[in-house]
Amino acid sequence: MLVLSRKLNQSIMIGDDVEIIIVSVDRDQVKLGIKAPREIAVHRSEVYQEIQRANESAATSILETDDEKLETGTANPAVLRAAPKNKTTKTP
Amino acid sequence: MNMNSALGTETISSSDMPNNLSKDVTMESTTIRQTEVRHFVDLPRFGSFHYTDSETIAFPWGLPGFADLRRFVVLTSPSTENVIWLQSLERLEIAIPLTDPWRMFGDYSPSLPESALLSLEIQAPEDFAIMNVLVAESADGEVRQFLNLLAPVVINLKKKIGRQVMLEGTTYTVRTPVATYQTEAETIDAFEAHHGDE
Repeated sequence: MLVLSRKLNQSIMIGDDVEIIIVSVDRDQVKLGIKAPREIAVHRSEVYQEIQRANESAATSILETDDEKLETGTANPAVLRAAPKNKTTKTP
Repeated sequence: MNMNSALGTETISSSDMPNNLSKDVTMESTTIRQTEVRHFVDLPRFGSFHYTDSETIAFPWGLPGFADLRRFVVLTSPSTENVIWLQSLERLEIAIPLTDPWRMFGDYSPSLPESALLSLEIQAPEDFAIMNVLVAESADGEVRQFLNLLAPVVINLKKKIGRQVMLEGTTYTVRTPVATYQTEAETIDAFEAHHGDE
């Protein structure tokens, strides 16, 4: 892991397109500004890790058992339907 | 019908033809009508399954926890109603259960960040499907289900690309309780304890 020291208002470049700026430092809280292209998602790590754990748990799901699988028929391709139009919005 | 070849494609051999025709007719290796190559896999969790290239969905960014898995199919299994399984084609033991969130949360209104819409090349609302990861946990004879409403799986239906998208500035959670039910064993015990040996 690369460790760099920065002072207030200094910044770090990641690749050519991402910049992280130290916006404020207040005791144990650091406020970071992130400049990145719109197609790159930026998120707090702990949320990402929680999603990761949920996926790993879901992948070894207990929803169906091996016994059930043997008794029932074979799996079929699923047909996906579009999300309801009036429910999904775009974050401004 | 002929068996599948080792390559997983169906072929029709001359032995399928009635005897009086087999001498006169030559079968070309390509069939007359254009059919897509059908791939066959033996899935550890669902048994035999077949799919075409156009049924494959790409996940260019993988999924959190499975960043290296890029090719999936979606399937349903008779033993799990209302669940659509996101089955990895690269690690056959990995299949993630997804479900339609509006079945349980009629007011779910995810606001998708621009990064998601751009990266998935979504242009119109009818272009994409949204489903959420279902987690089932068993403890003390109870099965609890949770739905990840914070990070829906979004799939561009036209381009066949998908991504798990984290919603921003939202109160939705990763572990939203869905249903709690007792396992069958527990229910029988409870019934017998209540009714005794009748």
